[in-house]
Amino acid sequence: MSERVIIVPCSGIGKTYGTVTREAAYLVTEDLRTETTTIVPLSLLVLGDEEARAAVQDARVISMDGCKLACATLNVRQAGGTVAKDFTVLDVFRRNKALKPQGISELNDGGLALARALADEVAQTTDELMAEGVDHA
Amino acid sequence: MPNLPKRKVGIVACSGEELPAGTVTRLAALKVLEELRPSETVTICLPLFLAGGEGDRAFAKFYPTIAVDGCEKRCAARATELYSNKPAASIVVDDILAQSNLPGPQGLRRLSPESRPVVEALADAIAAEVDHLMAVRWSRTEGAILETGPAPTAGVSTSACACGSGIPVTTVQVGGRAVQIMALEPILELAYNQGLRANGAPSTGSGQVLPGEILQTVQVYNPVPAGEEDLYAEALSRAWHAYCEQREGQTHG
Repeated sequence: MSERVIIVPCSGIGKTYGTVTREAAYLVTEDLRTETTTIVPLSLLVLGDEEARAAVQDARVISMDGCKLACATLNVRQAGGTVAKDFTVLDVFRRNKALKPQGISELNDGGLALARALADEVAQTTDELMAEGVDHA
Repeated sequence: MPNLPKRKVGIVACSGEELPAGTVTRLAALKVLEELRPSETVTICLPLFLAGGEGDRAFAKFYPTIAVDGCEKRCAARATELYSNKPAASIVVDDILAQSNLPGPQGLRRLSPESRPVVEALADAIAAEVDHLMAVRWSRTEGAILETGPAPTAGVSTSACACGSGIPVTTVQVGGRAVQIMALEPILELAYNQGLRANGAPSTGSGQVLPGEILQTVQVYNPVPAGEEDLYAEALSRAWHAYCEQREGQTHG
């Protein structure tokens, strides 16, 4: 089992919520939980890249989806991985309705704040998964 | 012919999160989509190819696509070909760097200011390819360039995005197996609006109660294997009867 939690954001390019997942993924892996998380790009999973498939098959995976089509979650499962926890931006938005995201290339302040809220939830789940891993070791 | 969405060029960017060049593809694609060629382009979501995005797969089957990749793994180009059709063009960031004599991009979440020219150069290259593909004749049935020359301008309608609003795909049972038929719904709609109606029960083999125009039009957009014409006619006959019943129910209901 990988020592790090794998983060898979949706990568959606056409909608704001996709950008929110991407921003949140970077927040978690570059700022909040640099030692315990890493990103696996969805594009590699789509292509069936062996290294990416092996990574999600041998790790605790957190997926982050921008819409109900849940591409990140579905692609992890199709690659043979198990999603420990799946997040959708819409659910986080419902819990933080004051944070209205706009923009795709560049998120507005609301979008950045929403990404931070999502990242905080993902970081907390990462801690729980890491603790479970220690308990079960 | 059915009223299919206006011809546009689909852009498939790898968007890879782990490489600065992935971010470059994303930003360059968005620049083309939002600023440089908004009327001629749509984005096609790469992850949706595998997650079951029939609209995206169908679009890439009918219309030209440009795959934009951040590295030589060429995820966007290879996945597009794997799940739909060979891209009409494939661009890799390294090629643009070499052509423009630019340094490699830096930064993942935020590209460094020095990397902006790479985005600009890539966006310009994509836009030039869009112009080229809009100028040539494109075969919807073969998903390839027919020949060089001006594109025909007649028979267009509008479609905002390939995501869920591209060419409709209908799944029918042909000889006991599920087969996806491209553009079946607009074909049936066209036939109905032209006054054709289903008469009698659905055919069971020869397709005699299926208007011949429907099978012919379906064959324009879909490959029908040799020897399976009767099976397809039978499946289409069932779909045609169901469609007519639905329309007549709407009329009388």
